[in-house]
Amino acid sequence: MIRETAWRIFAGELNSSQLEMKGEEEKSPSYLITPLGAKVNRVLLAGVLMEKENIGSEEEPMWKARVQDPTGSFFINAGRYQPEASAALAQMEAPRFVAVVGKTKTFSPDDGRVFVSVRPERIVTVDEDARDRWVLEACQSTWVRMKALRSALAMDTPDENELVKKGMNPVLANGILEAIGYYGVSESSRYLRMLQDGLRMILPDQHIDLGLPGDDADLPDEIDIDPEKAGSDLDQEDLILSFLEILDTDGKGAPFADLQKEAEKEGIGAAQLEEVTNSLMDKGLVYEPVLGRLKKI
Amino acid sequence: MEIEELTPTIEEMKRVLEGKIDESTLIEELNTYLNVYKVSLEAAKRGILRKYGGDSGFVTAESINKKIDALEGNEQNVDLLARVVFIEDREIQTKNGPRNISSGILGDDTGTVPFTSWESGKFQLEKGVTYLFKNLYAKTWNEKVQINLGSRAEVERKDDVNLGMPERTYSYSSHEAKVSELREGMSSVTVTGKILSVGPKEITSRGEKKTIYTGILADETGKVEFSAWEDFGLSDEEVIQVKNAYVRAWRGIPQLNIGDRSEISRVDDDFDDSMGIGESSIKSIGELIEVGGGLDITVLGCVVDLRAGSGLIKRCPECNRSVFNDECASHGRIVPVQDLRMKAVIDDGSGALTAIINRDISEALSGITLEEAVDMARSSLDSDAVSHRMEERIIGRWVKARGNAISDEYGLMLICREASLDQLDVKAEAEKLLKELEVMM
Repeated sequence: MIRETAWRIFAGELNSSQLEMKGEEEKSPSYLITPLGAKVNRVLLAGVLMEKENIGSEEEPMWKARVQDPTGSFFINAGRYQPEASAALAQMEAPRFVAVVGKTKTFSPDDGRVFVSVRPERIVTVDEDARDRWVLEACQSTWVRMKALRSALAMDTPDENELVKKGMNPVLANGILEAIGYYGVSESSRYLRMLQDGLRMILPDQHIDLGLPGDDADLPDEIDIDPEKAGSDLDQEDLILSFLEILDTDGKGAPFADLQKEAEKEGIGAAQLEEVTNSLMDKGLVYEPVLGRLKKI
Repeated sequence: MEIEELTPTIEEMKRVLEGKIDESTLIEELNTYLNVYKVSLEAAKRGILRKYGGDSGFVTAESINKKIDALEGNEQNVDLLARVVFIEDREIQTKNGPRNISSGILGDDTGTVPFTSWESGKFQLEKGVTYLFKNLYAKTWNEKVQINLGSRAEVERKDDVNLGMPERTYSYSSHEAKVSELREGMSSVTVTGKILSVGPKEITSRGEKKTIYTGILADETGKVEFSAWEDFGLSDEEVIQVKNAYVRAWRGIPQLNIGDRSEISRVDDDFDDSMGIGESSIKSIGELIEVGGGLDITVLGCVVDLRAGSGLIKRCPECNRSVFNDECASHGRIVPVQDLRMKAVIDDGSGALTAIINRDISEALSGITLEEAVDMARSSLDSDAVSHRMEERIIGRWVKARGNAISDEYGLMLICREASLDQLDVKAEAEKLLKELEVMM
């Protein structure tokens, strides 16, 4: 059996994936199809280990960890079936640069949403150069997929065989077609922004500006925050925090589905909610005790 | 090949593929396999079936009788009525020393298939003669079916059977290929390259001693091993053009065979040093998986795992095989020799391979010497202590590894001749990508 390739893929793309192709036969692998058509079973990722927590017991640890890349966070879960990764995580302190090799896993609450996590086979400490090299490779592979998607969409009827004949890798051609069928046409500015974020990290001295809508590269976002916008973000964070308290009925955290419903009533859409909850997680105010639930710290 | 000749094939494949492919695509595919890559019709059919999801095979304990085109590559026990289209003897190196085998091509009215007879002395097979072969087993090497005559095989000569096989099934006009384009199963291929080395080699072919000439031919795309079955007076550094050669693979590595139909001419090609003739060729792992292997290859990728059998190992002092519990399968109780080794999984984003890394390179990559490893194992009382330390030092690192790439049932392997941590100018590569993005925006 051919070993599954480790895809270099940003958190932003991986976490937006909703389409799963389950292996039909026993032991045949399952794949997650990303919006850009990556057909993922294994990933290689690198970034900053932001936090780790043992939500199991001393005897039977279950490690949850979050690794941040320029576009978002990877959610890592390692239990007793990941002995090497669990042992490595137990020894590590956040923050530090890590590289992770692992399999993608999904969790879907009944409402049909899909949460993506990574079950690590290996997690190791790396240096900044290695992290940068991974960011470069993730940028390159994201761009390959964007171009592939573009050439498929340029056809009257996108056709897998035609794409392979034009020299596209058959695995990618298959993923691209599945992605178009399920996600439709993905908004390319979102992925260009990921490329921009990645390249800015590698080339901090160049003021990279791909001229994306609503983007202002000249303003370093940590200093000159538009007070009005910041205010509204902070209000939303407070609002979400208060929802979390109300919705956490059993002490195990608020179900994400309920939170989304409440947020929607206040005019906070799914993407906005993700930004707010990510920001809260970054600030260390909330965490995910289990996938699909959020809890105030 | 003309379309008319292919009609039965097309009909048959349409039936097997059950509408997974339309006729024009199928014809184009066949055309690509047959006329661009010059593979046999059989190989083309199998390739297309696999690509578009044809049926999978079944296996029965009873021997089953099949035509060549029905072989699926997983038969444990199969009978074939076929003619020996081609046969040659060769000597291979095994753990127990050199061994003679025969290999060649069998054909019937449905196609041809490569075969290997592992008991070379047992059957005196003759080229052009039809036999009933019993109790064969099939294997798939690099996605192509191969037939094996093992210890259970039986052979009956069938002079009275007419297979209805055309004398020469398909003839192709010779077509030119670069070394990197050579694929197993190609015939009538023309290659131009520089001889890096050549020398005579004594082999035993059907009981007779014969001298063949083997060496390495290179162009700007890579290197390939060749065997000339006649004395063409070849010498080192010559630039030659070989016409009508054919390609066979050994453990996935394409090899160029210069047979009795081949022609050789000396050419005034300006292969100068600036073209990188004779240098190791850098390949993506995805491409190597597709080809099956290659001679003197360099790959760049991230080490994503160390396989079992890495770290401190013990070897038999007689046969050098790795042993457990001071016991060698061939030599019984022994005093083992300690050694260091890594089996590193390298992944470059297009595929993965296992790099087999010897002691010297393992020491340099991990920074752990054999002596340190022995001490480490002794003081920690943990036999895995050394491999764990190696994992910490090598997993998640990008390496550049060079060697011969081969395939076996465990997949693609690189037998490393050199390996080092790879330093890439990430900023320069990022700027290249940025330029491309800005052009496309």
